[in-house]
Amino acid sequence: MFEFRRPLRRWIFFATALLLAVPARAADVKTLLKEADAFRLSGESVRVDTEVRVLKSGSLDKTRLYAVYVKPGRRSLVVFRSSSERGQKMLMLGDDFWLVVPTSQRPLRITPMQKLLGDASTGDVASLTWAEDYDGRVEGEAEIDGVPCLKLDIAGQRRGVSYPRIVLYLAKSDRRPVHAELYVASDKLAKQAAFKFGDVDGRKLVTLMVLTDHLWRERTTEVHYLSRSAKTLPDHYYNPAFLARADIENR
Amino acid sequence: MRLAGFAARVACAVSPLLPIPGVAAENAAVDLDWKTRFVGEAHSPREDSVFAAGLPLTSFGRDRARLEQEARGRVGPVSLLATGTVSGQEGARPSRKLLVNEAYIDSGSGENRISAGKKILSGDVGYGFRPIDVIQREARLQVLPPALEGVPNATLGRFSAETAYSIVIANPGHGRGSDPRDDGSLALRYYRRAGGADLHGVARFSDRFRVETGTAMSAVPHESLELHASFLVQRRGERQVPLAEPASPGDLLTPDRAVETQTLGSAKKALAGFTWTWESGWSFIGETWWDGTAPTAADWRRLASQARQRGALAGAPGVPAEAVAGSLAASTRLFQLPGLSRRAALAHLAWTDPAGGGWTAALDVLRTLEDGGYSATAAAGWEGNRWRLDAGLRRSGGSPDSAYRLLPERGLAFVGISVAF
Repeated sequence: MFEFRRPLRRWIFFATALLLAVPARAADVKTLLKEADAFRLSGESVRVDTEVRVLKSGSLDKTRLYAVYVKPGRRSLVVFRSSSERGQKMLMLGDDFWLVVPTSQRPLRITPMQKLLGDASTGDVASLTWAEDYDGRVEGEAEIDGVPCLKLDIAGQRRGVSYPRIVLYLAKSDRRPVHAELYVASDKLAKQAAFKFGDVDGRKLVTLMVLTDHLWRERTTEVHYLSRSAKTLPDHYYNPAFLARADIENR
Repeated sequence: MRLAGFAARVACAVSPLLPIPGVAAENAAVDLDWKTRFVGEAHSPREDSVFAAGLPLTSFGRDRARLEQEARGRVGPVSLLATGTVSGQEGARPSRKLLVNEAYIDSGSGENRISAGKKILSGDVGYGFRPIDVIQREARLQVLPPALEGVPNATLGRFSAETAYSIVIANPGHGRGSDPRDDGSLALRYYRRAGGADLHGVARFSDRFRVETGTAMSAVPHESLELHASFLVQRRGERQVPLAEPASPGDLLTPDRAVETQTLGSAKKALAGFTWTWESGWSFIGETWWDGTAPTAADWRRLASQARQRGALAGAPGVPAEAVAGSLAASTRLFQLPGLSRRAALAHLAWTDPAGGGWTAALDVLRTLEDGGYSATAAAGWEGNRWRLDAGLRRSGGSPDSAYRLLPERGLAFVGISVAF
C-alpha cells in the first residue's frame, strides 16, 4: 500500500506542477508578445500610414500606399491610397474579411486565404499585433545579428491569421522584435521578417519591416511605417456596409 | 482640369441641397487620380448565322476600340468619377463621349448618414449573376467593361457596428424609363452581420415591377471556402421574347415586333455558389442560377425559326431586302439581355502569381443548362506599378439553336492597356 501511495503522490505532485506551469508559461508568452507589440503600435486605436515597396532582385518593382485604421477587438480597416488602387478598401473583423473594389462598390466577402494573395499581402500591412492572435512557448535563446534574443514558437489561435505559425526572436534586453520566420498553412516557411527602429515622438518604434520571401527568393517587401497617429473611428466605420461610403476617405 | 471644373460646378449645384455644417471646410481640396485605358476588341462573325442578312445593321462581328480617360477622386465635398471616351468601330465614324459616372456627396453625423447625387449602388453577393442587385443592375461577365454609371439617388442610412439600413430614392422624379435601372423607385436595403455570416435584404417599389423583395447571404465556414446564395421575388415580372406564333409575313417584317415584352404575374431569381481558394494562388468559383425573366430554350428555337422564315422571304415578290435585313437586325436585340438562359452554371478558375509578379490568369466557362450552349473566356493580366495589361479570348457555341450557338459572333479577342497617374 505504501509502495503504491508514494508514486501516486509523486504523480499528483508532477501533474499539479504541470497544470500550474502551463498557464504560467502561456501567460509569460502573452506578456512577451504584448511587450513586442508595443514596438509596433503606438496606441490601441491608431491610424498608421504605410508605404510598401516591393523589390525584385534588389530593384524597386512597385510602391503602394495604405492608411490602416486599427481598433481593439482585432479590427483593421485598410484604405488603399495609390493611384492605381484608389477606391479599394479592405476590412478585417476578427477572422472575417471584406474587400471593396471601385468598379463595383459592394463589400465582397473574401476568405482568409484570399487576403494573402496579391502584390504585398494586405495581411502584412493590416496585422500589427501578435498578442491578440498568437500563443505558444519560449523555445530557448539565440543570438541574431549579435543581439541576444528569446526564441518564441507561436501559433495562431484563430483561423484568420495570415501566418498560422511564427518563430519570433525578441531582444532579451527590451523585448523588441528582431527577427521573425513566418510560416503558411502548409507549414512552409514563407517569409522572414527583420525590423528596424526609429525614434517616434520620443518612443522607440518599428519604422521598417523588411520581409524577405523565402518561397520566391528574389522578392523583398519593405513595409515603411510613415506615421502613426491616435485615431478612433466610430464602430460603424467597421461595418462592411459602410465601406462603399466616401466618409472613410474623408478621415 | 475641364473635368475638375465641371465637378466643381456639380459640387456647387449639389452642396446647397445638403446644408451640413463643416462639410465644405473639411474637404476643400481637389484630389483626383487619373487613369488612361485603351481597349481593343477583334470580333469574329459567325458566317453561317441565320441573322447574317441583318448583321450589317448591327455591331455584331465588328472590330472596335476605345480610349478612355478616367478621373477618380474628390473635388471639395464631391466624390467624382468621370470618363471621357473616344471610341471607334469598324465601318463607323469615331465618337466622343464625356460621362460623369459618379458625382455625389456622402455625409451625416453619428450613425445617421445621407448621400445625394449620382452614385454606383451595386449590391448582392454573386459573381456571374446577382438577383438582388435591383438598383444598379450591373451587367455581368463582360470583357473589360467601361466604368459603371451611377444611379441618381438620395439615400438616408443608419449604420451601427453590426447592422445597416438605408432608404434609397433612385432616379427621383422619373417614372418608367426605357431600361429598368432608369426607373424611378424607392428601395429599402438591409444588412446584418449574424455570427460569421453576412445577411442582405432588399425591398424595391417601382411602377414596372411593383414590389421586388430579396435576400442574400455569404459566409466563410473555412479558411479557404466562401459560400453565397441570393434569392429575389418580383411581384410583377417582365421578359423579352421573340414575336408570338403564329406570325404572318407582315408581322415577321415589322422590326418593332421582332422582340416583344411579355408581362409575368410574378418572377423569381435565385443563385447559389461558392469560392475555394488555395494557398498556391489558385481560386475557383462555382455558381448556378435560375432567372425566371430570361429567355427559355423554346424562345431561342422560335427566334431561330423566325430568322429562317425572314431569310426565306428575301427575294420574294414585293419584299424589300431592307425589310428583311431590318427585321433580322431587330431580332438580335434578344442577345443584348443581361442573361440568355433561365438555368445556367458558371465555373471560374483564377490564378494570382503567388510570387507577387503581378500576373493573373482566369478561365470562365458559362454553360446554359436548358439549351446546351456555352461561352468560354480565357484571360491573362499583368499589373505593374502604374501599368496594367489584359488580354484574352472568348468563344461561344454549343447545341444548334442554343443562345450561344445562335449568337452572331463566334468569339472575340481583346486587349486592354491602362496606366494610372
